[in-house]
Amino acid sequence: MNKQHHTLVYYLTNTVDMININNLNFGYSKHRPLFKNMSMRLSNGHIYGLLGKNGAGKSTLLKNLAGLVYAQSGTLDVMGYDPAKRQPALLEQICFIPEEFYLPSVKIDAYIKANAPFYKNFDHNYFTDLIKELDIPVEQKLINMSYGQKKKVIIAFGLATQAKLVIMDEPTNGLDIPSKAQFRKIMASAMTDERCIIISTHQVRDLDNLIDTVIMLDENDIALKATVEGITAKLTFKKVKEIDDSIIYAEPSLSGYNAVMPNYHHEESKLDMELLFNAILAEKIKFKPLFS
Amino acid sequence: MEFRDNKAIYLQIAEYVCEHILLGKWKAEEKVPSVRELAVELEVNPNTVMRTYELLQNKNIINNKRGIGFFITDDAIEHVKSYRKVLFMEDELPVVFRNIYLLNIGFDELEGKYKTFVKENFNA
Amino acid sequence: MNNTFNINRFGLLLKRQWLDFGKIYLISLVVLLGIVVGFYGYNIPSPLKDNNFDYDGNLDMRFRYPLFLILGFVFISIVASSYFNILGQKSRAILELMTPASTFEKFVAGVTYTAIISLFSYLLIFYLTDLAFVKYLNSHLNAFNHPGIRQAESITKEVFNDEGYRKYCSYFFAFPFLVTSIFLLGSIYFNRFHYIKTALSLMIFIGLASYLVVKFSMWIMEGKVPYHHNYRNDDKDWILLALLLITSIITIIIWAITYIRLKEKEV
Repeated sequence: MNKQHHTLVYYLTNTVDMININNLNFGYSKHRPLFKNMSMRLSNGHIYGLLGKNGAGKSTLLKNLAGLVYAQSGTLDVMGYDPAKRQPALLEQICFIPEEFYLPSVKIDAYIKANAPFYKNFDHNYFTDLIKELDIPVEQKLINMSYGQKKKVIIAFGLATQAKLVIMDEPTNGLDIPSKAQFRKIMASAMTDERCIIISTHQVRDLDNLIDTVIMLDENDIALKATVEGITAKLTFKKVKEIDDSIIYAEPSLSGYNAVMPNYHHEESKLDMELLFNAILAEKIKFKPLFS
Repeated sequence: MEFRDNKAIYLQIAEYVCEHILLGKWKAEEKVPSVRELAVELEVNPNTVMRTYELLQNKNIINNKRGIGFFITDDAIEHVKSYRKVLFMEDELPVVFRNIYLLNIGFDELEGKYKTFVKENFNA
Repeated sequence: MNNTFNINRFGLLLKRQWLDFGKIYLISLVVLLGIVVGFYGYNIPSPLKDNNFDYDGNLDMRFRYPLFLILGFVFISIVASSYFNILGQKSRAILELMTPASTFEKFVAGVTYTAIISLFSYLLIFYLTDLAFVKYLNSHLNAFNHPGIRQAESITKEVFNDEGYRKYCSYFFAFPFLVTSIFLLGSIYFNRFHYIKTALSLMIFIGLASYLVVKFSMWIMEGKVPYHHNYRNDDKDWILLALLLITSIITIIIWAITYIRLKEKEV
């Protein structure tokens, strides 16, 4: 009863956070913590881009949200539920696209017949549209498909469930160039006000125009969580010929340097996510005061 | 659409819309694509397109008819021109001036070049 | 929404699991049938053989009992052992755990497949094969050229027409469930080589338990004089009843542990 009430409030006011992480502590072993007292709130109507070095815990954070691993301490609230309890009411609202997955040795329609009924909002027409748009062969058995094709199947299935929370771990991995463009189009249309989409990625260039909020993991915590708008209000990304004191971080390029500097003159530059990523890893201390 | 590196995406989308209006592809009092449609076409976050439309609304280039969508205003071309003029003066002209100064180019020479350019390209 | 058990969702889950589990299961049923038929074909009395009769003068069908027990053990343990093994593979476990059904439903689906459906289909296959062979045998009795030959009985008739047998069997009722519960737990407990690891653990456990029981009883009995020498039938019944109770309780405990393991499973 209480839970239903909670969900109702969320729909009506639109202000309750979809995800609330409070003092999360997690590690695969006691001696090697991955997250220390991590706290974060995520809300609907956004596409969050989760960035981090290898081993920073991107996949692990996603798994925590999906209830696939359990926190050592702290609380996790996803749409009013504790994901660790793995309750069907929450599970049917989560679309989780893992990096590695398995599909049974059946054709698409058999797979849909067996799995779609679990999701009461499953949209069969939308699924058919997605399958067409993504050029997935319907007559082929899932197990015989290439990695990229399989991935497209579970993305199409996941989105057709109309789940409110969409979690994707490296979704563009294994997709060919046309599929990546299709994927971006599909995600642009899948982003609605009720949805919260979290995408972890190494290949920021594939997705940087889709992401509106950057979450960066580093050193057991969130190194940065800011909207693209917020970042470019504080920082300018541009090509410069020479390095001077105002530059926080720069990388050599063909025609000088790609540089990050404080945005003194209210310039509206394009966020270079890769540059920002490297800049934060290299100059953590300089960025701390800007985004706290 | 290819995005360039140096300018915020929402501004580049604004230019894209302005370009369509100036070229007459989108005409006055016509409906512009919805936020979602344009986001899908350009493969960007719908929030970014929303920001573009808010900007264009502030510049009186488009207006929002509640419940129906965004429409091009009847004097959109005028507003696009004045908006573009400001952008040109602020962003591009300083670069041109810098080169004129550095390369010691005279204004007379420029004027001649400008006139031939207009003649060749616009038959004016 | 009921987040613990919903019969519709449970039905959907059984259907969904069939997609993955069904194929392996059907193949193992075919293999099972082949083995049963093979053993029957090889061992069944035949006019071409010499020793066709047991000491009561009936057609010798005694090979059926060890076959039934050993094959039954192997079949239900293999099926049980393969049910949760998908959770040992990260890629499969994720989709499995993310399926919108409660942990309890997923657990009950496991028990349904491994304890109920596998056992039932084993009994059915064995019963039908046996019936077919017995029918065939009885219709060719003349070929034996043996005066006073009696018809063979099907294994079910033989067991259920005899009150002693019936009583015995009822005491061992929980045994197959115990076997499946142990191997089901093994399939979720171990990430790889579930069957071998479970079987080994079971052997070690039984060995250790027998050793301790023997040691313990020796310690209790040592230097004491038996109180009564007479064999009493009541004792036997009491022991068998205890056996039934203990196997049932252990089965339920192992199922409970399996449920908790499933609940705590992380990927």
